[in-house]
Amino acid sequence: MQSVKGHSVGARSVKGQGSSAVRSLHFSLLALAGATFAIGAIEIAMNLVEPAGPPWAVVAFIGVAWVYAAAGLVAWWRRPSNRIGPLMLFCGACWLAAGLLNSGIPALISVGMVTATVPLAAAVHLLHAFPSGRLHGTASRLTVAGGYFVAIVLQAPLYLFEPNPPPYDWLWVADRPDLLALGGAAQRLAGAAVMIVTTVLLALRVRAAEPARRRVLLPLLSYGIFAVLSVPLSAAVISLLFGLSPVAQAVFQLAVMAGLPIIFTFGVLSGRFARTGEIEELGAWLGSAEGSRPALADALANTLGDPSLRLAFWVPELDGYADAAGSPIAVVPSSGERAVVEVNLADHRVGAIVYDPLIVADAELVRAAGRVVAIAADRERLTVELRSSREALRLSRARIADAGDRERRRVARDLHDGLQVQLLLLALQAQELAGAHPAAARDVVALRTGIDSAAADLRAVVQSIMPAALIERGLSAATEDLVDRLPLRTRLSIEVQDGTLPEVVENAAYFIVAEGLANALKYSNAEELSVRMAHDDGKLMVEVSDNGVGGATLNTGSGLRGLMDRTDVLGGILRVISPAGDGTRLVAELPCGS
Amino acid sequence: MRVVIGDDEVLVRAGLAQVLRDGGFDVVAAASDAAQLLQYTKFHRPTLVVTDIRMPPGNADDGLAAALRIRQELPGTAVVVLSQHLQRKYAVELLANNSEGIGYLLKQRISDVITFCENVRRVGTGGTALDTEIVDLMVARARRGGDAIDALTERQRQVLELMAAGYSNAAIARRISVTEKSVVAHASHIYEGLGLLPDDDGHRRVQAVVQYLNR
Repeated sequence: MQSVKGHSVGARSVKGQGSSAVRSLHFSLLALAGATFAIGAIEIAMNLVEPAGPPWAVVAFIGVAWVYAAAGLVAWWRRPSNRIGPLMLFCGACWLAAGLLNSGIPALISVGMVTATVPLAAAVHLLHAFPSGRLHGTASRLTVAGGYFVAIVLQAPLYLFEPNPPPYDWLWVADRPDLLALGGAAQRLAGAAVMIVTTVLLALRVRAAEPARRRVLLPLLSYGIFAVLSVPLSAAVISLLFGLSPVAQAVFQLAVMAGLPIIFTFGVLSGRFARTGEIEELGAWLGSAEGSRPALADALANTLGDPSLRLAFWVPELDGYADAAGSPIAVVPSSGERAVVEVNLADHRVGAIVYDPLIVADAELVRAAGRVVAIAADRERLTVELRSSREALRLSRARIADAGDRERRRVARDLHDGLQVQLLLLALQAQELAGAHPAAARDVVALRTGIDSAAADLRAVVQSIMPAALIERGLSAATEDLVDRLPLRTRLSIEVQDGTLPEVVENAAYFIVAEGLANALKYSNAEELSVRMAHDDGKLMVEVSDNGVGGATLNTGSGLRGLMDRTDVLGGILRVISPAGDGTRLVAELPCGS
Repeated sequence: MRVVIGDDEVLVRAGLAQVLRDGGFDVVAAASDAAQLLQYTKFHRPTLVVTDIRMPPGNADDGLAAALRIRQELPGTAVVVLSQHLQRKYAVELLANNSEGIGYLLKQRISDVITFCENVRRVGTGGTALDTEIVDLMVARARRGGDAIDALTERQRQVLELMAAGYSNAAIARRISVTEKSVVAHASHIYEGLGLLPDDDGHRRVQAVVQYLNR
């Protein structure tokens, strides 16, 4: 029960609403969104008070910052463990910082001057970190570090050595045109180097990717490189090519840069890489508190976005797969509509993920998800194995009970057709002998009556093995016959049509009544017994009651234990209600199939 | 007396036929299943049919069903039904409409050939023969209900049981070694005690008693 409760809580948390951690994340993200908007709005307002540039340009610049921040917040919200969201938010912050150049306040202007080109470095960072938000490989890390170096350190000569009019001279130290020229050249060169290395690294990455991945990666990264290059190159190349005015040039640059977070966010959320981030999400979910885990298959279905996904567990004893309940299921090899990926853990088979290849095109992705959950799946598999062996045990008990009944019938029939007939024929022969040998007649008749009494004993045995009425007619006739022979007054109420119930149910019900009556006679000291049977709503209700001393349990009389097994096997219930001094009721409810 | 017999066991069939022939019956046909029994009976129109209950094709109560059908379709035909196990329900079904020419006996009773032939003959002549075991069961069951039977004397109960089994007053008198006159006296006490209508020694007596016992 505990775990079931836990599952439901966890299921909600994966959907992103339930857990307190997720709630506080959402709260923080909303606060960040508010702050970003407020800072941008203040910057626009400051420019209106003390115009340092054309209002539309400032609004457009802040607009780009907002686009980055918004895209980052959306990605962060939707994929909490993917770092691309925070990174884009950081880009937005860089744009806001750079925007301070237009604030008209010397200290803030200085911040804007220092961070003027940081948005470009952040954009390069974004390119390298796509799609997981993390940097992979030393080359990438060094290149990104180089980008920030170019943007922050090599930017310094521009504000240290260039004589600007107030209030842009706050950081100015000396009028050194030589150092200024040197710094500018160094920044351009180093910046170009960073861009070239970035282009090469990303090209290599695109080339190494699988075809399916490449199809998405290539346009996204191409656009990214184009966007980052468009800033330094727009003046020189693009304006020349398209003959843009300075205003159009600025608008073009801003638009291209604003497009970057939008398409990257789109890529993270809906493209095939989305799932790379999701698989990390899956890992994060696995690491979350034990009790709050939803069922593994649900988490996988959620992660891979395929609600039809099924997780099958390998049960060696079955030499096949079973579902979470332990029932054997067939897992057929991949076909057009269903695809199968095996989940393995250190060389042994744990299970298989059966999914829809139209929804999840990339089998490697499913394999990756399988690797992430392998250990958890193996643990769940052990539970499934237990359930499966329990199910196998139930079925085997059912088979044993059924085989037992059939054996009883067979023995009863064999005795009826064999030994009983033979005793009759023997008695007839003895009778004949008596006629043929009058001298020995008395002895032979005694022999014949002896045989007759053996036959009577045999009838009782046959009756106890499997009553003739149960074979010839069914439950109600057999019960009636049983009750006819009881030494106590017995009320009988049977609302069952013979031949309408499965044989195994009739047999179980009969033996329950027989055992219940035998126990009542033996232990209850009752004056009156009652047998009730009703078939209703797919269930056979059987009740044997007495007005005796009560105090009986299922351990009263060895037979009741066996009846428990019989009832259990049928999926029924057997109860003894026997308060001391107030009679005994043996109640069985047996499901009758259909 | 022409008889058709039915039993699926070939040795029993032969033994039964022999017993009946020795007893002076004319066994005209021996069927090995219920369908054959119906067929032979319709063909030969015997006075009497003697059949086992458990027979093919169903190996259930096919012989009983055939006997009931014979009673329905050829009402004059007497029927003796044999079984390894007696059930009150079957007796009630057999005696439901008319107890004349009805017998219901344990199969093992064949071996007591003289009594068996007596019973069969009685049935063949319109009488009734109920196995003492089933009569005992009926009486015991009726008594559990706290019945007027309890008020009868031991001897009267004995007479009642023999009446139910289908014996005539003369036969009862022989069996319990009293005069027929005293059997008549017992019978009238029984009738009075149980609130039955006096029916002398008539064939309907068995039915009245059996109906009383199976209320």
